[in-house]
Amino acid sequence: MTEVKLAVGYDEYEDGQRMNTEIERLSASPEAAQLTSLIIGDWGQAYENSSDEVVEALVKHSGSFPALRKLFIGDMSFEECEISWITQTDLSPLLPAYPELQSLTIQGGTDLGLSKLQHDKLEELIIITGGLSKKVLAEIAAGSLPNLRRLELYLGVDNYGFDGSLEDLLPLIEPGKFPQLTYLGLKNSEIQDEIAEALADAPILDQLHTLDLSLGTLSDKGAEVLLASERIKKLQALNLSYHYMSDNMITRWRASGLPVDVSDQQKSDDDEDWRYPSITE
Amino acid sequence: MMQEAQPLILLCSPGDKRSAGIQQARSRLGLPPALLISYLELLQGASLGELLEQQMPGGRMAELLERQAQGDRMAQLQEQQAKDGRLDELLEWQAPAGLTAGQTKQQMPAAQAAPLLRLESPGGSFEAERALIALGAPDAGEQDDLLHPFGQQRDPYPLSVRAAGRLKDMPGVLHHPSQWFRGYCRLLAGVQREAAALLPAARWQNHPGDIAAMTDKRRTQQLLAAAGVPVPRPLGGSQPPAGYESLRELMLAERMHRVFIKLACGSAASGVIAYQINPATGAELAVTTIGVEQYITRPPVYYNAGKLRRYTDSAVLKEIINWLYSHGAYAEQWIPKAGAAGGSFDIRQLVVLGEAGHSVARVSTTPITNLHLRSRRMTPLEAGLTEAEQEQVRRTAVQALAAFPRSAVAGIDVLVSSGSGGARRTYVADVNPFGDLLYDVEYEGFSTYEWEMKKLTEYRNIST
Repeated sequence: MTEVKLAVGYDEYEDGQRMNTEIERLSASPEAAQLTSLIIGDWGQAYENSSDEVVEALVKHSGSFPALRKLFIGDMSFEECEISWITQTDLSPLLPAYPELQSLTIQGGTDLGLSKLQHDKLEELIIITGGLSKKVLAEIAAGSLPNLRRLELYLGVDNYGFDGSLEDLLPLIEPGKFPQLTYLGLKNSEIQDEIAEALADAPILDQLHTLDLSLGTLSDKGAEVLLASERIKKLQALNLSYHYMSDNMITRWRASGLPVDVSDQQKSDDDEDWRYPSITE
Repeated sequence: MMQEAQPLILLCSPGDKRSAGIQQARSRLGLPPALLISYLELLQGASLGELLEQQMPGGRMAELLERQAQGDRMAQLQEQQAKDGRLDELLEWQAPAGLTAGQTKQQMPAAQAAPLLRLESPGGSFEAERALIALGAPDAGEQDDLLHPFGQQRDPYPLSVRAAGRLKDMPGVLHHPSQWFRGYCRLLAGVQREAAALLPAARWQNHPGDIAAMTDKRRTQQLLAAAGVPVPRPLGGSQPPAGYESLRELMLAERMHRVFIKLACGSAASGVIAYQINPATGAELAVTTIGVEQYITRPPVYYNAGKLRRYTDSAVLKEIINWLYSHGAYAEQWIPKAGAAGGSFDIRQLVVLGEAGHSVARVSTTPITNLHLRSRRMTPLEAGLTEAEQEQVRRTAVQALAAFPRSAVAGIDVLVSSGSGGARRTYVADVNPFGDLLYDVEYEGFSTYEWEMKKLTEYRNIST
């Protein structure tokens, strides 16, 4: 596998460097033909500039990347741009341009669109956001991804763009919607308990090997319903890491013998008010 | 040549981790213990002479003074050796307490038994903090602001000596940072005068003027930039912002949408804000150690929060940033730091007498990497720096300390920018005069304090 990451930093952007010319240069390079994985990092002040030009350039030069199977749009850290400020665009033109694509990861939910989400071979769709809009959730629900095996949605919070509710997620877990799906992550959510309750006895569990409800606000409330579910017992992995469950609930999970990850317990503001002196060095 | 060990006089908070660490290091190296002079006792009115007398009873103090007076022969020898280039360069560091840098090369009294004076961090006790704020008062007995890099600027809402004395110990509260710093500069000035009179041949490990300059980030960055050391671009250049409004105007005008704002005289990430504005939406966001207690009837109280705060409310941000600027602040480009292990990191690099020693990568999932904020420690290698990059970090740090020619020791914070291939650049974010309290890290088999004591002793052996 060959992988390349392209990024245009703040200073490079100010100096006139642009992501579309970087993509063009890569497309003309000898490694383009063998490239299987492409990571598009910071395209320069992504809080102001959308991924429009990225999409355009990738569509234009798709013929130069025949081996490309994996694409990541927006791999940048908080050092470059707040996740919730990364400005995306409608990324669906990428799909027909790369009919052999297997994995698409997107980071950043602002202005994100997936208006024509149709792809016969895509196996993985991962969307990392601080807040995913219900518009995108509806587009995923309306899409056609017959070969999708892994779906991970970082739903986020109201403040950063999650304007949906449980209702907007239910169409995604209809049986038959993604017939090949085996890994479902509805995670990083502020309504994690509601999601857990809705999924605990959902028929889709029968086709999954992994249910991922990590990184959210899961508490004993949602955990109680999960733990009582028969369907959950068939999973090969249940990821509940980063959670707000009690010590007692963690003990119960451990005693259940289920393949569950209950690491990274969050304490509600135990040390929230720890203060330190100014003058130490 | 064999000679008697050079006495070390340590101005510190006796019994704290720093003084204990130094004593332990000296004991391991077979050096006599340092003479500990308490900041608090100095602040309570004791003179340096009295405190030294207590430390050296039975006429040993008189002996020390006498030994200093002799030694003209050694002075001549030293002057001769000073013609060697490297020594010549370092001579300035050796400036005796009684001389200014300009005099150094003309008259070098003997260094034979002349003690070395080392200033430690004045932190660690609320009594000392309160006494320093009182010393910075407009009606304090000491008014020598010569070491204060911006001494002519007034402090906001100054507290009188009496009012300062009434301050209550509230953990982590920033009572009056600028007046504290003024008090510290006055203490340094007073100690410098006393040392010059009492121990004219003594040398400062780090000169009080350098300590003051390193403690004021505005001056630090000026000196670094003037010496050609790479630093993050200061917002506004020579016309820096003065508060919230001008800060935002400059950020938009210079398209510098992400900045670090730092309390000029803060240390340990006290008063540091990673601040950004979104030119597309007008949103603003700050991640900071500054916690705020709001009151209806009196001004807010600001404190150092161990768990970082996020602020997006413009009214709150305006208040915090204006408060910071009223005490003196510095804003610079937020250099995206290189990543490691799911976070980003910078390097704390110890430099002693032109040599880079101990280094620690401080990895954080927040923009502020200070170790007490629960960052992870790694070696620079573990953080993914190549040997060439590590060498660049060391070179940059050595260059930074060289911008302070009267100082022998500092912990330098070096940023390595994100980016791939050969594109990573290094920048100096801070110079910490007391940045050597680093646990569990060795260089050539020595702890930080051991290595410093060893280097300082060896240096003296070469130069005399």
